[in-house]
Amino acid sequence: MANNSFVTRIACGFLAALALASVSAAALAQNPKAGNSSDTDTRAYNKHDFGGLWSHNPQEFGLPPCPECREQYPIPVPGYGYFGDVPARTPEGERKLQMTRHGRGFEPDSEGAKKYPNLDPAYKRAGLPAYSNDPEARCEMMGLARSIVMNGPNSAMEMVHTQANDRLIQNFEWYGDHRNIWMDGRKLPNPGDYLPGVNGYSVGQWQGDTLVVTSTGFDERQWVDMYGFPISENAILVERWERPSPNRLRVQLTLTDPVNYTRPWTSTVKAWALIPKEKMSISGWSGIFDDRCIPSDEALFNSFRNHAAGLGEK
Amino acid sequence: MMSTSRKLLCLAAALLAANSGWAHHGSGISYDTTNLWTTWATVTEFNYLNPHPTMRFERTTKDGKVEQWVSELLAAPAQLARAGWTRNRSNEALKPGTHVKLYLGTSRVGGFSAIAMRIENEKGESIVGGLGENRGNAVDMDGVPGGLQPKKPLLGQTSGDR
Repeated sequence: MANNSFVTRIACGFLAALALASVSAAALAQNPKAGNSSDTDTRAYNKHDFGGLWSHNPQEFGLPPCPECREQYPIPVPGYGYFGDVPARTPEGERKLQMTRHGRGFEPDSEGAKKYPNLDPAYKRAGLPAYSNDPEARCEMMGLARSIVMNGPNSAMEMVHTQANDRLIQNFEWYGDHRNIWMDGRKLPNPGDYLPGVNGYSVGQWQGDTLVVTSTGFDERQWVDMYGFPISENAILVERWERPSPNRLRVQLTLTDPVNYTRPWTSTVKAWALIPKEKMSISGWSGIFDDRCIPSDEALFNSFRNHAAGLGEK
Repeated sequence: MMSTSRKLLCLAAALLAANSGWAHHGSGISYDTTNLWTTWATVTEFNYLNPHPTMRFERTTKDGKVEQWVSELLAAPAQLARAGWTRNRSNEALKPGTHVKLYLGTSRVGGFSAIAMRIENEKGESIVGGLGENRGNAVDMDGVPGGLQPKKPLLGQTSGDR
């Protein structure tokens, strides 16, 4: 019975997420910022081929800038994240959020916090990073949504289609992490059958020229983004990926997580620019870096950072 | 000659990139980057590591005292490498004993802790930097004891320990 209940919950969540994803697709199409592409390349291309190296910072590779690849949230919150139409949290979700500490966003009562009175209070909780309990500050898991929405200098990523085309592999530069999007028609698993996944379990299917990816089974120790938003194991994350022009890739996410949020949560549109292999190359060695978070390196960094909180040796 | 529109485009690109690198580890909260200052210093340790390189340096005050400082760099190794500052080149440029001019933002709690927003060699050339490095309106505090300290030091426990 419990399993049936679980399957029902997953099915309902999946259907709700799909319905909302349709709404999101409409929003995506209507979002002028998302729709305006700075890509002037008019060559023919395969809209179903996401393979290649992608970056939010093409200028870092000697290519023209991509304004739409920068965060599109209308309020310039320090940092980068999931953003979008942030929902109210459930009591449980708010409790978990308030347990997190980090150095992102505006400080309480700061000038920035006062300037945007309608901004969700979740973005007005920044404290000194030395007091943070951010998983990233200990090289613990980033998690799927957080890896996707990261928009910093180490956020280059690679997409790889397998030869059998039964799987799309997404490699994230920061953390050297990867996720599999299974395209072979399988159904989502029951997360309780094994361990929750750092990046959950993902299946994808094409709806026209949009790749709709649905994931569940998230390890609850991860945050949705750097602001500490929680995610539950049975949450459903739907990503709608598109390649609107030869050199652009974009996605919008919708998180359905009734444990933590009072309604589904749709992100801002995230966009990347295609980086030719020869441009993402150092001394002839091309590709994203194997840029891992090594605990001893992070500990050394934190020992320096502690001085900035008055916690270092005198 | 670069056109005005192209210069503006490049400036916008640099600012965008600077913003992108800023909030990764919350550096904007830890340091006062609106009041930068400069000093000559001697590198005593440099670590080209993730998530951000770190550096120890010493500076001598006008009354002959030597201050030991700790600092972090703004750019991450991946960003530095792509800007041409590979590990070997960076380690060579900042090997212990190297005399450098630093553009610093002191930690908001005060003390001998800062973020290096720009590093110059003795020729005045930028070294181990990338997009986002910043001179600001830095004031010369070479030899001044303590450099530029915050007028109202942040109390660490009130900011993070809620």
